[in-house]
Amino acid sequence: MLWRPHHLIRKRTTFDFMGKRKIALALSTAVNLLALVGVFVFGLNFGIDFEGGIAIQVRAKQGTIHLDDLRSTLSGLGVGEVSLQEFGDPSTALIRVQRQEGNAQCVANAERVMKRRAGDGWSVKPGAAGTGDVEFTAPQGLDANAWRDAVSRVGLTLQDRQLPRGNTNIGKIDMTPDQRAEWCQQVAIKLVEDTIGNQFELRGTEAVGPKVGEELMHSGIYAVLATLGAIAIYVWFRFEWQFGVGALVALLHDVLSTVGLFVLLRLDFSLTALAALLTIAGYSINDTVVIFDRVRENMRRYKKMGLIELLNFSINETLARTLMTAGTVFVAVLALVLFGGPVLYSFSIAMLWGVIVGTYSSIWIASASLVYLNLRPEQLRAADEKAEKAKA
Amino acid sequence: MLNLQRWQTIAVIAFTALAVLFALPNVLPAAVLDHLPTWYQQSRINLGLDLRGGAHFLLEADLRSVLNERLTNLSDTVRADLRKGQVGIKNVDVENGQAVVVILRDDAQRAKALETIRAIDSSLAVSGEGDTIRLAYSQADLTRRKKEVIDQSIEILRRRVDETGTIEPTIVREGDDRILLQVPGIKDTSDLKRKINQTAKLTFHLVNEDVATGGSTAVLPPTTTLVPTREGMQALRATNAKAWDEIQAANPRMSPEQICRRFQPQCLPIFKRVIVGGEDLDDAKATFENQQNGGRPIIAFSFNSAGGRAFCAATRANIGKRLAIQLDNEIISAPVVQSAICGGSGIITGAFTTQQVQEQSLLLRSGALPATLTIIEERTVGADLGADAIHSGTVAALVGTILVILFMLFVYGPVFGGFASLAMLVNLLLVLAGMSILGASLTLPGIAGLVLTVGMSVDSNVLIYERVREERENGRSPFSALATGYERALTAVIDSNLTALIAGVLLFGFGSGPIRGFATSLTLGLVTHLFTATIFTRMLLATWVRWRRPTELPV
Repeated sequence: MLWRPHHLIRKRTTFDFMGKRKIALALSTAVNLLALVGVFVFGLNFGIDFEGGIAIQVRAKQGTIHLDDLRSTLSGLGVGEVSLQEFGDPSTALIRVQRQEGNAQCVANAERVMKRRAGDGWSVKPGAAGTGDVEFTAPQGLDANAWRDAVSRVGLTLQDRQLPRGNTNIGKIDMTPDQRAEWCQQVAIKLVEDTIGNQFELRGTEAVGPKVGEELMHSGIYAVLATLGAIAIYVWFRFEWQFGVGALVALLHDVLSTVGLFVLLRLDFSLTALAALLTIAGYSINDTVVIFDRVRENMRRYKKMGLIELLNFSINETLARTLMTAGTVFVAVLALVLFGGPVLYSFSIAMLWGVIVGTYSSIWIASASLVYLNLRPEQLRAADEKAEKAKA
Repeated sequence: MLNLQRWQTIAVIAFTALAVLFALPNVLPAAVLDHLPTWYQQSRINLGLDLRGGAHFLLEADLRSVLNERLTNLSDTVRADLRKGQVGIKNVDVENGQAVVVILRDDAQRAKALETIRAIDSSLAVSGEGDTIRLAYSQADLTRRKKEVIDQSIEILRRRVDETGTIEPTIVREGDDRILLQVPGIKDTSDLKRKINQTAKLTFHLVNEDVATGGSTAVLPPTTTLVPTREGMQALRATNAKAWDEIQAANPRMSPEQICRRFQPQCLPIFKRVIVGGEDLDDAKATFENQQNGGRPIIAFSFNSAGGRAFCAATRANIGKRLAIQLDNEIISAPVVQSAICGGSGIITGAFTTQQVQEQSLLLRSGALPATLTIIEERTVGADLGADAIHSGTVAALVGTILVILFMLFVYGPVFGGFASLAMLVNLLLVLAGMSILGASLTLPGIAGLVLTVGMSVDSNVLIYERVREERENGRSPFSALATGYERALTAVIDSNLTALIAGVLLFGFGSGPIRGFATSLTLGLVTHLFTATIFTRMLLATWVRWRRPTELPV
């Protein structure tokens, strides 16, 4: 019956959470070690945000997409590794092209784009070794405007000083190798557009150059560390240092095991995944704070109680709200997983996992670490040991 | 005590009503909105590029080669002036793209050389000894020039993007040498990308004064053409939108003369021959006249040596005539030549305001040595992809909200579950109002942030209710249980909010584009939640208690 309150947990529970702490600790350590090993052995499936590269969402103008045909077309294109996946429905696919290097292959690709977009007679060659220069040869003598127009078709700007000198038809654009590498992402996009543009509608294009990718990677790592640190410091100020350490350990556990999930499921680790990581950190601390709050309250109230007993007591007291708060977020995130569409999929799955693992870690990691952090005076810990032995 | 003071209750209700007011323009039909004041109309949430479709580019300006180019020009001028001053030089060269190094034939001429150099640009930092003189731009000058280059690149970009006929582009500087360009709703990005790579074309022409009085219907000699003035085109754009559209859509593009003949904006007949091109213009800046001359705002400009010579010859022969400055097929200014301008630099005077000279000098610089812009990040979303995203986002948000409400009703019953749901909906409303006031963009991850806000904002009610249940089991009376439960749960509610807020704020600082949208809605949600979780919920509970005087709590 909906119109009467339902108690998820009828009576005050008396689970011995702390008694299972060694099993939980072993399990969590194993999971986190596996996650670490996974990251180093298999690596994260970095999206273009961090690795650089190109992602193009295409839809077949007619019928469904034959991924194998499309794959063979694109892999022969000279843009390096291309991966394909269906995206949402069978007529839509996501094409992922690896980050382009500013090498001779890229200049050759630029020549193909140039011939197609500006005329057959154009040729494009790399300039002197060690530089990123690119030399354009026009089919005939052209005026400055025609030159500018032609060169802009491959995504470059021709300055007046770069116009042909003397009696040649060669315009030389000087660039550093790094600049050329950035430009090469654009060359690859144009080449893919030219190759499949008549059969497919290009719905969205994302390209991240080497520089931006590297910056996002750095600031991403920095953001995660700063978040974890700031939250731990907050908890330390609000409670005692032991609580801060416990919270930090739990947060590291949550973040690391979520990273492990990304390795295991080969989910795309993109900017939204990073957002999920930070949100999980910010969210999973909520349950921890609720339990810590109660632990602190009970520590004042039951001055003689052993720590393990006190933790068990506090966790049981707050169990209903721990489960309820996780439950409300869980159903909301479930809606995102089911209906949020392919763009949010990685994010939603990570959040769903984060809600579960965050609840688990509040009990078995954050609270259990208090046992090892000398929270209570000597004599009470002796009581703890006696109680544990008596049970065993 | 749960009870609020009367004024507190009124304040809570007024605050909520205000939120409704500010969120309202999002759903009002355009016909109604048009009659309301603009500040109110603007209280709306913008859809992010990933929802409405559009293009996002991060461009990097190649400042290094701009500096290099300036140094090369400087070295040309120095070489020419030293030769003219009969100073023997072995070599003048640009060193590492940082400085110009002059090596004198005879170090006895050092003082004379320094004097000549100071006449060219007194702000240069001079170092070296004996026969070597090293010239570099000062740090302050470099910073100013960098800013100028970015400003002028933004100006060029704005003109290019305007040509594509798109509305509301965002073009802003990002960091030291980057420009963020966002163009909502654009269909053909390859055209836009080509435009990014086109530089502005600035040229100086003499006005053909013989036909200037004839207006735009006069028969022109073949050496002369008609070009509209910038004011003329602006007036046309403002008064004759249809003509403007026609000009934008024309393929092939209409020549300036065709535009003049067809739509009769204010035009000037100019000689086709180019006196000097923008590439020879070294600098143009807004400044003021000497106090003796009146201290009016003026534009000071300087040419490199080739440009200076050509300009000198042309002005000497045409004193009293007008010199038209053409930028991208518009005449931005046509000052009268007062005297021969030799020596490479001159000024433009007139009845200008400070703002006008700033704008004019920026326009002048637009043709001079623009920096190459490289696309270092691109995110384009087609309109129908955006529509898909809106659809899935809306469905997810609705389903999420309904699930959370059902869950709360199921666990806490219609009264308390209803209060929690109401507080949650008010929180959602506050977030939307906050985003409207800030004019923030709603992105797909932003919708995910809203869904999370929905899930998290009932959490504080859970904490309160569970505490109430507990106090009730401990034998407190209903009213006392409610008051104590609320009070004791509050610290945990605020603590958990603030920790989540830390993550939200850091995410905002880190994120760009869509992620920033997520951080915005999540952070706002947490902030407004502090209001709904504490004072709003308290008001609901207090009102209910006073009204029903319950003997048992249905929680």
